[in-house]
Amino acid sequence: MYGNLLSRDDWDHLSSITDAGALIEALKGTVYGAYINRVKAEDLTTRRVEYEMHKYLADAFGVVIKHIPDHARALMIQLYRLYEVDNLKATLRGLVLRESWEQIRYTLFPYGNSTVLPAKAITESGTVEEAVALLQGTPYYHTLVHALERYEKEQNLFPLEVALDLDYWRELWRLLNRLSLSDRQPTMPMIGGLLDICNLIWALRYRIYYHLSEEEIINYTLPFGYKIHDEQIQAIAAGEDIVRIIKEACPDLPHPDELLQDPLRGLPKLELWMQQKVYEACHSAMLGYPFHFGVPLAFLLLTEYEIQDLTVLLEAASLQIPIDRYKRFRVSALPMGLTV
Amino acid sequence: MLFTQKMSQIGLVVPAQYGFQVAVLLNKERIFHQIDNSNLYTDTGPGSPEDWRKRAASYANLENRLLSNMKLLGIQPGDQPGNNLAALERMYAVQPETDRLEREVLELSDSLTEVQDELNLCQGYIQQLEAIVDVALELPVCPNSRFLFCLFGFVPTTNIERLRASLARIDCLLLPLQQGQPTTFVMLAGSRKDQSVLERAARSAYLNPLSLPEGMLGTPAVWLNRLKRRMQKLQEEIRNQTQLRETYCDQIRSLYWRVHTSRLLATTLSRFGKLHYTYVIQGWLPYQQLSEFEKKLKGISEDILIEVQVAARGGMGQGVPVALNHRGIFHAFESLVMNYNRPHYNEIDPTILLTITFPILFGFMFGDVGHGLVLVLIGILLASQRIGVLKRFAELGQIIIVCGMASVLFGGLFGSVFGLDDLFAAFWIRPMENILHILIVTVAGGVILLSLAYLLSLYNLAISRRRGAFFFSPQGLAGLMLYWSLIGLAVDLFNPGILPIPNSILTGVGIASAVAVMFSEALTHLVEGRRPLIKGGVATYIVQAFFELFETVIGYISNSLSYVRVGAFAVAHAGLSAVVFILAEMVGSSQHPGYWVVVILGTLFIIGFEGLIVTIQTLRLEYYEFFSKFFRGGGIPYQPLEIK
Repeated sequence: MYGNLLSRDDWDHLSSITDAGALIEALKGTVYGAYINRVKAEDLTTRRVEYEMHKYLADAFGVVIKHIPDHARALMIQLYRLYEVDNLKATLRGLVLRESWEQIRYTLFPYGNSTVLPAKAITESGTVEEAVALLQGTPYYHTLVHALERYEKEQNLFPLEVALDLDYWRELWRLLNRLSLSDRQPTMPMIGGLLDICNLIWALRYRIYYHLSEEEIINYTLPFGYKIHDEQIQAIAAGEDIVRIIKEACPDLPHPDELLQDPLRGLPKLELWMQQKVYEACHSAMLGYPFHFGVPLAFLLLTEYEIQDLTVLLEAASLQIPIDRYKRFRVSALPMGLTV
Repeated sequence: MLFTQKMSQIGLVVPAQYGFQVAVLLNKERIFHQIDNSNLYTDTGPGSPEDWRKRAASYANLENRLLSNMKLLGIQPGDQPGNNLAALERMYAVQPETDRLEREVLELSDSLTEVQDELNLCQGYIQQLEAIVDVALELPVCPNSRFLFCLFGFVPTTNIERLRASLARIDCLLLPLQQGQPTTFVMLAGSRKDQSVLERAARSAYLNPLSLPEGMLGTPAVWLNRLKRRMQKLQEEIRNQTQLRETYCDQIRSLYWRVHTSRLLATTLSRFGKLHYTYVIQGWLPYQQLSEFEKKLKGISEDILIEVQVAARGGMGQGVPVALNHRGIFHAFESLVMNYNRPHYNEIDPTILLTITFPILFGFMFGDVGHGLVLVLIGILLASQRIGVLKRFAELGQIIIVCGMASVLFGGLFGSVFGLDDLFAAFWIRPMENILHILIVTVAGGVILLSLAYLLSLYNLAISRRRGAFFFSPQGLAGLMLYWSLIGLAVDLFNPGILPIPNSILTGVGIASAVAVMFSEALTHLVEGRRPLIKGGVATYIVQAFFELFETVIGYISNSLSYVRVGAFAVAHAGLSAVVFILAEMVGSSQHPGYWVVVILGTLFIIGFEGLIVTIQTLRLEYYEFFSKFFRGGGIPYQPLEIK
């Protein structure tokens, strides 16, 4: 598994390429080559390459779900469902913006046959109400039907998306806590870390960007987490000093005062730093005793970060941005400190 | 039978007082193809074309309103009730009747919508109250209190604790009244001054407030009973109004047909030419029905003047409408001709020729007694119109019956029954054993059909008086001579001495006719007195003429050889049938059920798939090899007046 990830040499080679076409050609020599080669040369846009790389990830999820022990399968399926939730949100946005299926299809994660979403039918359904009706029998139906009343009043997808997110992470947390201690211990820093990123960033965004009230922030966030706890979320909601809360929640975050001086610029950097912590946790899980659920999970998350970073590389190459300007947007490239 | 119906043009001069009666007669008889005469005369007074056009427009307006009302009631106009042709409705009578019906239908429709909306609302309330029927609390609690704010609603059960946490900073009460999955019915109460906080918290926790009927006071159980009783009443009201709607349906249909008939009569009258005291009417009708029609006109008044001119083939054929009156199987094949083009008045109607040649070509390619009988049965099923959804394929059924019978006939000649060729001796030959022979026969048949097509083309050119084209065009006499001399030379090449005509004569005729075809354009212009004889330079003309001749000769050869496919399909059909039995034997002996499954599926495949291909090939031969030589089409459709 570990051998399937790109090596430091691979990264150095790929980072040195400044032309998007040449970079795509170079990617054909990696594990993603088998997927990229299936696409006609004239269709190979950066978005399409990203889509094909995600197909690799989807297949990797498929293999892991098939082979892991029964007690952990439900958690892995739920983790994979994160992409389906994203697809659902993207499809609903496409529907509201009256975009065609052709415009939407390659922005979606290639979830494969196991998806319960009739994405094309949703795009062509005409209204959000009809789209929700198409989801009957799926895990999303009851959540969306209940939230639909707010959508009808506000004509905004925000309540639907928040309801989907909260429902998703609650279920993931419930399944995580059902794991045995030996599986939960290595898994918690990774899945708990992911949950922390979402919860903290949501709370900060609701307060800084959207100026929501205390009760709204609390209701739109989760009361649990790995290192970010409900007291900190409630403190953010109550309008307490953000820098103090972040220092308390992330004691090893470098230069927190400087970082959060301008919260609009600081939030993406904070998110990237937290992703790096998860990335680090994934690498740690790969070392030592190998017979636990954390190993395949770490492999999948590292692959996801690898694709995320390759996408940064591709977009930078297509926009002719030099390496020193985009390197800080890569999760895997930075040393474990933050350059502000 | 080889031509469309003979037509006569009729002109009528009708005293103004008989104009309406004549209009009724024209619509009633359903044989008069009217020509619009209204622009020839300029009278604008009462009874003028302009006057009738306005009236027709008024009727059309009423007709549209009635159609809209019918749509509102969800009904169709249906068939014309009885014969009410004699009436031309007075606008002052039908207008108020339409207004009244429109008003009443609208009121009824609005009322029905209102009741339906209330019913839907009731259903919504009931659905909510059924979920909380066990809550023994009079709702709403303190609806107009100055100090207390109270909210009831359904919240996702998973959100309750978070909602409670979000309200920790204020004094309030969050009381789950009825636990459930996925939602719980709760009461949220607090001080009126905290109303906005409570509302924001409730909204962000996805608490959907309970919507109660206006003025509701009492427990959910009490209200549930009241609403159920109300719902029964509303359903009863919908039933009554639906019954009332039925009475309007008959009235509105009857009025629609009266107005519709008046509109058509007014339109007919608007196309009459109007002088001061007379109408001038022009149109076409089949010659056969002329004398009967004249008698009926004279029955209205002896003062009606009738002028008749029979449309001869050739001369005045341009504007003559074309009436086809084939019956039975010919009518079925007529649809295939119309699919290609409508015959022109000045040319032969190919329907009968198609009715004869189509089944022969089909039967030859699909010759099998068994398969043919299956086709006959399928055709009978379709033609009998016993299956509702297949009723519209009745004419296709007739064509299939005839083609099936032709298959049976050729199956007998080929000695084949469901692909088995050992049941009886072939009356003629077995295609698989005489492949070359059958291919030669089909090419010979093709030559005969093409020759017939060229002869028909000659006839069409003759009656349309196109002398130049008759003598020199590739479809004319020179073309036919060239074709025959080429055929003669080819026959002589393979069977020397078989023809009674010497080779030198064939060669001479061939060269002469080739020269005529090559210079057909110049020669046609010369004979018909058109100048210049050629367009552009002489050298260009000669090069162009040479290549046109080359193309014509290639066309003769390829068209003739095109009929090889008839023989090829006859052989392929026999081969394919044999393959079915070989496959069946691979599955097992004839005692094995699998054997018969393969035989049945194979036979169905042959009838369905090969039958379709053979039909397409037959159509191709008819349309592109046969029709294209003599049939131009482009006739004007004959559309007699009628109330429908």
